[in-house]
Amino acid sequence: MSEMLPLRFRRLDSDTLIFADEAGRFFTGNPDLAIRLVEGRLSERDKDYLKSRGMVIDCEDVNETAFLHTLARRMEPPAQLSYVILVPTLRCDLSCAYCQVSRAAKNARGYDWDETTLASTIAYLDKNGGKTIQIEFQGGEPTLRMDLIERVAQFARQRFEKPRFVICTNLSNLDNDLRAFIEQEDVSISTSLDGPIWLHQKQRTETEPTTNAFLRNLREACRLAPGRVHALPTLDVDALPSPNELLDAFDEFGLRSIYLRPVTYHGFARKRHPTSVAYDPRWAAFYERVIEEIINRNQDAKDDPWEEFYLSHLLKRLLRPGENSHADLRSPNWLAYDHQVIDFNGQIYPTDEARMLARSGLIDLSVGHVSSGIDDERRRSLQSNAFNAFDPWCSRCPYQAACGIDPIDDIARHGFVGAAKPSTTFCQRHLHLFDLAMKLLNSPDSAVRATLSKWLSLPASVDLGRRYV
Amino acid sequence: MIPLTLKAEFEPSQNEPFVVRLGDDSGLGGATIAGELDGSIYFQYLGRTFSVECARDESLVGDVVFANPVNGTVNRWLRSGAKHNTLLVTERCDQLCQMCSQPPRKTHVDMFPYLEKACLLAGSGAQIGFSGGEPLLYKQQLFELLERVSSKRPDLSFHILSNAQHFTPDDIGRLAHPAFERVLWGIPLYSSHPGLHDDIVVKEGAFDRLLQSLSILARAGQAIELRTVIMQSNYQQLPDLALMISDRVPFVSHWAIMQLERIGFARNRWDTLFIDHSANPVPLEAAVAQACARGIDAALFNMPYCTVGSPLKAFLHNSISDWKQAWPSDCTDCTAKSLCGGFFAWHPSVKDYARGGAIR
Repeated sequence: MSEMLPLRFRRLDSDTLIFADEAGRFFTGNPDLAIRLVEGRLSERDKDYLKSRGMVIDCEDVNETAFLHTLARRMEPPAQLSYVILVPTLRCDLSCAYCQVSRAAKNARGYDWDETTLASTIAYLDKNGGKTIQIEFQGGEPTLRMDLIERVAQFARQRFEKPRFVICTNLSNLDNDLRAFIEQEDVSISTSLDGPIWLHQKQRTETEPTTNAFLRNLREACRLAPGRVHALPTLDVDALPSPNELLDAFDEFGLRSIYLRPVTYHGFARKRHPTSVAYDPRWAAFYERVIEEIINRNQDAKDDPWEEFYLSHLLKRLLRPGENSHADLRSPNWLAYDHQVIDFNGQIYPTDEARMLARSGLIDLSVGHVSSGIDDERRRSLQSNAFNAFDPWCSRCPYQAACGIDPIDDIARHGFVGAAKPSTTFCQRHLHLFDLAMKLLNSPDSAVRATLSKWLSLPASVDLGRRYV
Repeated sequence: MIPLTLKAEFEPSQNEPFVVRLGDDSGLGGATIAGELDGSIYFQYLGRTFSVECARDESLVGDVVFANPVNGTVNRWLRSGAKHNTLLVTERCDQLCQMCSQPPRKTHVDMFPYLEKACLLAGSGAQIGFSGGEPLLYKQQLFELLERVSSKRPDLSFHILSNAQHFTPDDIGRLAHPAFERVLWGIPLYSSHPGLHDDIVVKEGAFDRLLQSLSILARAGQAIELRTVIMQSNYQQLPDLALMISDRVPFVSHWAIMQLERIGFARNRWDTLFIDHSANPVPLEAAVAQACARGIDAALFNMPYCTVGSPLKAFLHNSISDWKQAWPSDCTDCTAKSLCGGFFAWHPSVKDYARGGAIR
């Protein structure tokens, strides 16, 4: 007996609805189809289409198998610890207005790893790591302790197959130790560039000499580590640059991949930017204008296309079940399984945001310590809130399978995990982004298709939309 | 072309065929080399001598052969230098694919005891292919062979070409045997349109039966290589097939898109079957792009390097078996040879391709 998979739908524009099943397989159609669906008046043609899309199933037939397989790939638990953020020191030589992590003054004491923490961290990685690993050094400003970074790297290169390292640095200094380190092929740099120089100085470096030092160092880092320097802008909705200003500032350094993020509501930022709790329509408009400009620029960009990292990731999540590696967007969100953060004092957190919440004294979401390992009970209690499929709102949303859930973000912004989803920033932001992604997928514009094919590394530009008319 | 069948002479008292590993002096009971004379290599095996005619530059050492005194031949079943060797299970088939490179015959000779012996003698870590005809017409015997061989030789892996018309739900339990963890099933699917697929394989209902089998294989956790030969009839719709694979058979390990091999039925039907992908790369590029967009791993087989544009070059595989790989004279001096899979020896010609030609 054939059965139709339950479909969710959502309006994209006046005559287009997006339809999707629980596994996140989707198509667009007109509103009449939704009415026929709801009223149980599907035509034979409708049914044939749904069957050809694998959305009508029989017991154990190929459509059911395909559906279950796709669903399973979306929920697949990660194998092993594969990404770890280490905080060798909490000290920093800058004090940015929106610092997302609690920081300590450059000369403060007691905010660095001691020998015991270093040894326990290394032992912990040795025991819990898989075949390979990516290690991100954060802070504070981790390069204040190159000695600790070197010792971790030395261990990792012996213990893991092809380990990768990321140093998150403000690049206010680029001394010989750091230079030597970033010249190695397995090291990349993640820094902050808030767009045009005036804005970067206003938000971060404050004085002209510090700004100039940063610019010099960024240029030098790009030379020493070609293709391995990444910069993130942190943008304040009250002081947005123009899209062109922003992109040009990145282009100046040959940086073409941007991860557009508004100031988030964590750490010190929480005190100084109380408005950053809501998803601001001004941000949504700005975001769309930047994407438009990126698409526009990509018409001429041959080999090195412009990319907005997060939208590109969303497109991959929509199209490719199993694209679960990015811990910020998945469901179940396997908190503190493959991705962990180890603080300067050896506490283990599921995400950097959880570490910040603990630092700002709001709630302790640590799930263990490097000396004693993971506290499974604490990890499980977080995990029980990290699955969106049972949420009453998410389970009606066509984007549920491709979207994710972030209980830590919900706690940070709303104080608890059970907030009605449509009222959360997470939901508002992702609905906006997924709608945008879906419009791009269905766009007949060749410039849009060209950009998407570059983001997805396709050999040709094709129509990625699935329309039933 | 590397010859697979060699002339051989046997002692008159030797009249039963046998499978043996040549040049094996490891004391494991292979045929040892006794000497070389006038273009023949002499072997000793179980107290008897036989000779095999062999070109000077060919080494037979390590080959597992089927020696047949009745017609005076030695068949090189598992060549030690080859990456993949294929054993023929039967020449019978229940499909009659338009382009079949190895047209079926009605007769069947049961070779299973010899095939099993050959597997047991295979080099360490070898991948052994099984082909036909349709190997699964003898499903029970084949399953038993795989189970027995793999328990003695856990280092071996298998590639089995099958039309997948013969799997039933009760195979799922059987396929849980560890032997089948080492099997890759090569299964042809020619179109997302049931009628067209059925026309191509000349069997009504084949498409539906195939999907049923694919579901069974997926539920049994089997690794599947989906294979599509491009032809005039299915080329334009190749992007539809990519979408169908992502919707209905996303569990395949990869999708092999293959250019036609000019042998068997395809030899006489070349003009009506062959499609030059280089003259119109759009359907091919779109199909690979659609597959790639949806996380389906597409691979291009039997397409010379010069015949695809740069966006598709990364998807090319050197797939033509070494013994039937050849280069036409046009390829002399080509600098891309090491990147190219070459041509089938039966028809080494760049002239089929509007866009082909040596890269210098």
